[in-house]
Order: sequence, then structure tokens, then C-alpha cells
Amino acid sequence: MTGKLRLPRFQSQLPILVGIIVIMMIFLTIVSPNFLKAQNFSNILLKIGIYILIASAANLIMITGNLDLSVGAVLAFSGILHAYMCKHGIPIPLSILITCLAAMTWGVFNGFTVGKLRIVPVVATLGTMYMAEGLAFLIARWDGGTNIMLGLPGAYTRLGRYMLFGKIPIIIVLVVIVAAIFLFIEKKTKLGRFSFAIGDNRSAAELSGINVTKVIIILYALSALLAGFSGILQSSRVGLAAPNVGRMMETYVLIVCVLGGTKMSGGRGSIIGVLLGAAIIGLLENGLNLLGIEHFYQEVARGLLLIIAVIAQKNSKSVKS
Amino acid sequence: MNNDVIVEVRGLTKEFPGVKALKGVDFDIKRGSVHCVVGENGAGKSTFIKILTGAHRRTGGSLKYNGKDFDPKSIREAMDNGISVLYQELNVVDDLTTEENLTLGKENTKWGFIRKSEGLNKTMDIIRSLDDSIELDMPVDQLSVAQKQVIEIAKALSTDCSVLVMDEPTASLSEDEVRRLFLTVKKLKEQGITIVFISHKLSEIFEIGDYVTVFRDGEMIGTKSVPEIAGYDDAAGCPDTFDDATVAEACTELVRMMIGKVIVQEYVPSTSDYSTKLLEVKNVNNRRLKNINFELYKGEILGFYGLVGAGKTEVGRVLYGIDDYEGEISVNGKKAEYKNVIGALDAGLAMVPEERRVDGIFGQLSIRANIPLMRMDSVMNSGLISRIKENRLADKFMNMMSVAAKDREQAVAFLSGGNQQKVVIAKCLNRDADIIMLDEPTRGVDVGAKEEIHEIIRDLANEGKSIIVFSSELPEITNLCDRIVLMHDGNVGEIMKNQKDVDVDHIMSVVAGG
Repeated sequence: MTGKLRLPRFQSQLPILVGIIVIMMIFLTIVSPNFLKAQNFSNILLKIGIYILIASAANLIMITGNLDLSVGAVLAFSGILHAYMCKHGIPIPLSILITCLAAMTWGVFNGFTVGKLRIVPVVATLGTMYMAEGLAFLIARWDGGTNIMLGLPGAYTRLGRYMLFGKIPIIIVLVVIVAAIFLFIEKKTKLGRFSFAIGDNRSAAELSGINVTKVIIILYALSALLAGFSGILQSSRVGLAAPNVGRMMETYVLIVCVLGGTKMSGGRGSIIGVLLGAAIIGLLENGLNLLGIEHFYQEVARGLLLIIAVIAQKNSKSVKS
Repeated sequence: MNNDVIVEVRGLTKEFPGVKALKGVDFDIKRGSVHCVVGENGAGKSTFIKILTGAHRRTGGSLKYNGKDFDPKSIREAMDNGISVLYQELNVVDDLTTEENLTLGKENTKWGFIRKSEGLNKTMDIIRSLDDSIELDMPVDQLSVAQKQVIEIAKALSTDCSVLVMDEPTASLSEDEVRRLFLTVKKLKEQGITIVFISHKLSEIFEIGDYVTVFRDGEMIGTKSVPEIAGYDDAAGCPDTFDDATVAEACTELVRMMIGKVIVQEYVPSTSDYSTKLLEVKNVNNRRLKNINFELYKGEILGFYGLVGAGKTEVGRVLYGIDDYEGEISVNGKKAEYKNVIGALDAGLAMVPEERRVDGIFGQLSIRANIPLMRMDSVMNSGLISRIKENRLADKFMNMMSVAAKDREQAVAFLSGGNQQKVVIAKCLNRDADIIMLDEPTRGVDVGAKEEIHEIIRDLANEGKSIIVFSSELPEITNLCDRIVLMHDGNVGEIMKNQKDVDVDHIMSVVAGG
């Protein structure tokens, strides 16, 4: 037998990730007195919450062997659209609904270009990224500025600043719910199982009668929906919508998924990995902040982390038989 | 040293882990001849070619080239020594012109700018001598496949090639283009170049070949001159072209050598019900198939047999909704309107594809996850995947087919070929289709597993399923099938009933095109 065989690692990288997280936490506790404070943890969770929300669906896309680079732009677009509509008299719940549908339209478009027309996902979703961001800037300009802040109704920030039982931020609640849903999708539904099958062997999936195009469209729609809702949430929390807030979000999402053990070529990954990957990147950023390291060094560190994660995956994933 | 011999092969062996691809091969290739190499899949001809051209290293024996030991470590090294390959997949870049293709990778540059190369004129002369219709500034995508081949040949010749290996050069050519290619081959021969010609179309050998070597199961079965095969004792009395009857007879002889002695085992007829017609194929044509007609009955095992390239797989692809066709297919008396795999499955057909690694297994997924993929409903409980049902299903099939694995959670990539095939078959059986197609069901499978798979196929037929087996192994066909469709070059040559003393010679002459 020739050809490549893949080592079955399943969840085996997860203990390593937990180990890394523990080591990071111990290190940060020692070097920074502020690390263990509740406020600091809350900051970390709020920050990575958005990553997790978006990465949960983007992760399934990556499991099929595809990629969604448009999440950041769809997030920004949705925030702006929502703010614009609310400012111009559309009731907030209706605006949320319309925004979610608009966001999903981007996803269906991605799914169509990638799944049906078979355009390389990097290119297809990059195109969407530019279109969505461009539209976000245009909407802001129609409104008369570079971002939308003044003139928003008073209730605009209610959703984003909502606290369950008066102390748990809504985004944390949502992260728990969404993660649970995707764990469920992964383990219990056809959608999840088909995603793994497509990423493992697309041709065999097609010959087994799996509707590959449909699965890919659904996943991109889900990814865009979550990006869109995250945009609504974020803009509602800060009481401001800006067309450039989503920049680099796609790279964060990518790093979170890859760190979590999702294979870029598809067929392997998990939502648990996404949670752990997000924790690592959250701790890293927080640690670098606490240590007073300048932002640009942080970017260098982040890039390095992505490459290390990919190399680590490459080295452990395949053996020649 | 014999000056007439350019390549001398003695006791050549090649072992891959677990497989002996070449088991000690001896023969000579004469200088300036067109030497054809034939054999079925896995016979060892590709392995031999790869050793000759530096793509593989031999594990034993010797190979002499121009009288000196020759063990190229790379394709580059073989090329530098004058052995080049014309691959089936051409390496021309469609977007570039002929000139750019010829100089690709060896651009003569100065300060980063490309200059006209002197070597180019030489290559152009070669091209003109082979085909004067090719111009330098023509974009390659406007050329025909045969013209592209000329460019590749010229590239090879410009590196002072003395042995040119042609790997199935006629596979994607029209008849007209084949003529032109043969003219080119004759011109090359006149220039003293030795051609090693691989083809699955046996009749071609009698048009351009001087010698033919037959491989089977990693062994060299025979090397003969073409007149000898055609029944002439010496070349002197041999005509330049052979008549059709001679070619047909000679092809049959070659097929006999390629297939070897067929041990016809006890064939047990299935309990077929010839009053219920499940599938009817009428006048089906497409790019690779010519006027295909056949019927399939309930509980019957229908075998498709033919040499590599005869069109067996193509029939399967049409039935499974992968390839387009003209003509009519009816399933269960209803005209089949489906145009894709999902439609074929819905109509009641399921297929085990030929290439298990590429089209069959989900290697990273467990056995448990693989088996239900063609019919997820079999493991669903009120809309959700039930692990209990999955486990039960996996256990059922693993028992029934005696899959050897650590447990049902083992990733399929780590099973042996035979066990992987059993998982692919289990996945297909779980579909519970009325018509089950199996393309090369036991290729690359060990003897024990093969027997087991055959047993499963017989059981299915006796349970009332209709089975189509596509195979290039004649014993498999004669052991298993109730009726046999013999294919040759995209045509159905004959449909015969199988019987205990089936006429193997007749089968061979039909698939050889006689």
C-alpha cells in the first residue's frame, strides 16, 4: 500500500490544549497581580465570546475543507445596517430580524459560489468580504458619517448590555447556548456528520449520495448568521456601529479553529477545540496586555502562534504507510 | 555486449511493503525498435517503466542501458542519460504559446529579461520534421491533443533522447489523431530512436510495433516479435500490414498471455427470476460508449468483463448518474430521468466505486461513522443520530462481513485493503438498494477476503437483489456471474450465459476484439 494514511488523533490534542491553558494561567498569576481579578476575567470572556460565536460555525465550514474569510466584514456590515435602521425609526426587534436575514444572504451567496460554482473558498469569501465591508462604509456615509453613534434610540444598547440575573453578560449566555448547539450538531445531526464526511473525502461523499452543495450552503448561511448577530450584539454593547470593526476578525477565527485542532484540509475538528483555542488566544492577548507589551508586538506574536499551530498540526497529522 | 540491445533487463525485482510488484523480469529492448509493453492493471508494466525512467528505484536484479548498469535516482537523471517519457497527462501549459512551452524552465535570461534561445531553433526543426502545421506563436490551447504530444516529443528529443517511453499515448486521441501519432512514431523510428510503447488497445501493436512484451502478476510472460505473434516464422515472409482476421487472432493470443490460465471454479447459478426485469438499457451512447444494450433481472448477477479501457467503468458511471449519455435507461419499468448520484440512489441503484481510496472510504472517520453514510435514516431516532443504532448497525455488518478491526471506532484508513473494501461494501449494502453495482469489488484484496466478498455477493443475489459486477479479473466473472457482458473498446461484444464449462477461449477472443 502506498499513499498517505492519517493518524487518528480524534480528541487527543485537547488535553494538550488544556495543559497549555493551565500553564499560561499559572504563569500569568505569578507575573501579574491583576490577572486573577474578576474584572480581568470578564474582559477576557467578553473578548473571546465573539470569536467563539463566529468560530463555532466557521469551524464546521473548515471541517468540510472550506474557509470563510467574510465573517469580519459581515459582522461590521450587520452592525452598521442594524444601527442605521434603528436610527431611522425601524423597531429594534424588526431591525434585528432584517439584519439577520441580510447577513444570511451573504452566507447563502458564499455557499453558492463555493458549493455550487466551486470557486476556491479563499477567493470567493474574500470577494464577499470586500463587498460587505464596502457596503458597510456606504451605509455609514448615507447616514452622513464614518460611523453611526448619534441619534440611536435609547433602547439600542439594551440587548448588548443585558445581564442575566443581573451579573452574567448576555454574550456569555449566548456562547454557552451556541457552543451547546454546535456540540449537538457535531454529534447528533446529519449536518454535522456530513460535514466531516465531505471534508474527509468529498468525492466519496458525492458518490454516497450526500448533497454536498446543500450542506455547504447551510454552513455558510449559519456562519454568516452568527457573524451578523455578533455584529448586532457588539454594536449594541458599545452603542456605536463602525464599518471597520470586523477587520482581522477572520484571522482570529482562523487561529481559534486551527489552535483547536481543526484541520485546514478538513475532516477533523470540534467545538470543544474551538473553546480551548479561543481560551488560549484570549489568555495570550490578555497576558501581553498585562505585561505592557506594545500592540504591534502582539500582532507579531499572534501571527507566529498561527504558524506554529499549523506546523504542529502538520507534523502530527500524517504518516506514510 | 550486444550492440543491438539498448536496454537489457535481468532478474529485475521491485518490492513495495507487502507487495512484490516485479518478480524477476528478463528481456531485451532492441535499439531502434518500437517495443510494446502490455498487461492488465497491476501486472507490473508501470512499475517497470517507472524503474526505467527513474521514478522508482529497483530492489533487485539488473538493468543495463547501452551495456552499462543503469540505476537512475530521478526522472531528471534518466532524462540526462537519454530516456524520456511522454506521459498520458501532458505537461504542456495551455495558456502559453508553443515557443513559451518549449523554453519553459530553461529560459535564456539576461538581467531578468527573456532572450531568444538558440536551442529553440533546434527544437523547432524537430517539430517541423514531425508536424509542419504547428507554429511557434500559436497558443497551445488551440492545438489538438496529438499536436500537443508532438510538442512534448520535441521537448524530449531536444534533450538528446534515445529511448522515448510513450505511456498510453492514444488513450485520449480520435482515430484521425491516432494516425498522425503513428506517423510521428514511424518518423522517430527512422531517426533511430527506440520507442517503448504502452497501450491497452492491442490492435495498435500490429500497426506500429516491432516487439511486444507481456506482463502478468509482476512477471514477464513473453517477449516476441510482432510477426511471430501474428503467426509468421520469420520477418521476411511477413507483410507490412496484417489483415483483420490475423490481427484478431493475434490479439486473442496476447489476451491469453495477459490473463493466463483461467481456472474455472464451480459456478453455482443464483436463484434468478427471469420474469422480472429490473433494469433495461437501450442504445446508450456517450463519449466512451457505443450503442450499449442489456437487461438485468431480479436476483441475477450480471458480469461486465473486458480489458482495461473497454468501457466497463463507463457503463457503471452512466447507470449511477455520473456521466451524461444518450439513449434510454429504464429502472423497474420506469424511464430513468435522473441526472446525478442522488437521483440514481433514489431510483434504487447503489454502487461500490472502483477506486476505494479516492471514491469509497472516509479514512479519518471510524468504521461506525462510515457504514451509515449512504442511508443515515438507518441510524436516526426522531431526527437525531442514535449512537446505539449506529453501534448496532456497525456490529451487524462487521459480523456479517467479518471485518478485522480493533473495534468499530477504528479509523478506516488504518484497516487493510480487504477490510476497507468490506466497509465500503457494507456502506453500500446498508442502502438496501434493489440494484447493486460493484466495480472491481475485490481489487487489491487478499484471497481470503476475496472469497468472503464473493460469498456475500452470492447471498445478496439469492435474497433477490440484482447485482452488476464490473471486473477485469476473468475468474471472478466466471465464478460469480449468471450472465456475462463482454466488452471491447466501448462496445458490447456479446452477452453470454455462464455455465460450468464456459468457453474461456471464446471470451478472450471477444474481448480482444475478434
